[in-house]
Amino acid sequence: MRRAFLAITGLAASTTALVVLKGSPGATPVAQNVPTAQPVNPTPLGVDPSADPAAGPPTPSVAPTAPTSPKPGKTTTRPSGTKTTTKAPSAPRTTTKAPQSTNRRVTGNGFENEYGYVQVQIVVSGNRIVEAVALSLPSGGESDIHSGDVRNRYDGSGGEVVQKQNANLNTVSGATETSNSYKQSLRSAIEQAF
Amino acid sequence: MRATLTRPGLCRVEQIMGTAITLDLADDLPPATLRELADEVFAWMHEVDARFSTYQPDSEVCRFDRGEVLLSEASADLRFVLETCADLWGATDGFFDAYATGRLDPSGFVKGWAAQVASDRLVAAGAVNHCVNAGGDVRVRGLSPSGEPWRIGIRHPWDAMAACLVLTGTDLAVATSGVYERGRHVLDPRRGTPASGLRSVTVVGTDLGVADAYATAALAMGTPGLGWLARLDDHTHAAITDNARQHHSVDLPLTD
Repeated sequence: MRRAFLAITGLAASTTALVVLKGSPGATPVAQNVPTAQPVNPTPLGVDPSADPAAGPPTPSVAPTAPTSPKPGKTTTRPSGTKTTTKAPSAPRTTTKAPQSTNRRVTGNGFENEYGYVQVQIVVSGNRIVEAVALSLPSGGESDIHSGDVRNRYDGSGGEVVQKQNANLNTVSGATETSNSYKQSLRSAIEQAF
Repeated sequence: MRATLTRPGLCRVEQIMGTAITLDLADDLPPATLRELADEVFAWMHEVDARFSTYQPDSEVCRFDRGEVLLSEASADLRFVLETCADLWGATDGFFDAYATGRLDPSGFVKGWAAQVASDRLVAAGAVNHCVNAGGDVRVRGLSPSGEPWRIGIRHPWDAMAACLVLTGTDLAVATSGVYERGRHVLDPRRGTPASGLRSVTVVGTDLGVADAYATAALAMGTPGLGWLARLDDHTHAAITDNARQHHSVDLPLTD
């Protein structure tokens, strides 16, 4: 008797599951898409939309961008269950860079300095360097403090305020006081590439 | 390091003043002319390094600081730099201070000024399309090798491989001072303590030495530097605070 009850319950449960899954074919992809859209900040550059616990009182922004509050509905569509709206925001996907077939990667020699091991890789498209990646950088000290800072700032619900831009650049302005090892590795990569 | 490229002009990088100096000549001139121009630029940079280095005890700056060279005996370049640093001290309410570390160190002006002079000389020599980047202080003129205005990224304070803003123009001096690389090395000259509140300051104008000094001064001011930057005539700015907020002039020459 108990065995029959268990069998019937099991059958009913699996049938229900089948019906639910078949009945809403769009549900699964939507539930997968929504979380990927979460880290993207919907507001334009330079304005913090909501309360950032780490930020304290809001400071006046010189940035000319207008909206100061997130659009209702956009940030609230968290996937609480399987059934979410069918609107799957596809726009954020355009932010990923499509790798070009003509790109080639050249890895520089590794160099040891007092803080650790440094190695740089460049991506060359045609005759221009389009990207430089540090394959290995020393950890510890200020580097780790900075990484911690970034994680603290970006994980909050306030989103990122300082944005990153991927654009064709001729040059970069910054307080560049990078280590000699980084430059040596970068230099060797460039010399191999051209 | 010379690359054989199909684009017009020439690009060369050298390690001077403890940093990388990049010269990008975009004029379609004969290779020999381009090499000559580049040689002159880097010879000038080496000359500035030898004269103004605070790391070489026999540099003119160090000898002047020790009292071995009198102001009347100093080179015209050193006298010009000292005079300008004094002017900038006044213009920045004392926050640009060549003596902030207790000894003469005009590096906050010299690097940008040297690149500015190099750029001026290139224009005089007929190479009107170029970019000089002296350790992150950038002077661009004319058009880039692609025939379009130069595009200058401002380094993201928390990601050395990313830009947080992109500027574009045909006649810009862009200087950035930040505390992300060497830690808190910029001192508030009034208190003698490391400056805080701002992570990175970029000043855009037409004289790279002045822009460099202004950026260093605003960084030393900390958060009140934002108000000071906003009142600057003939300059635009972008500043990023320690809590990752970005402020910039309305008329900053951003790309669309």
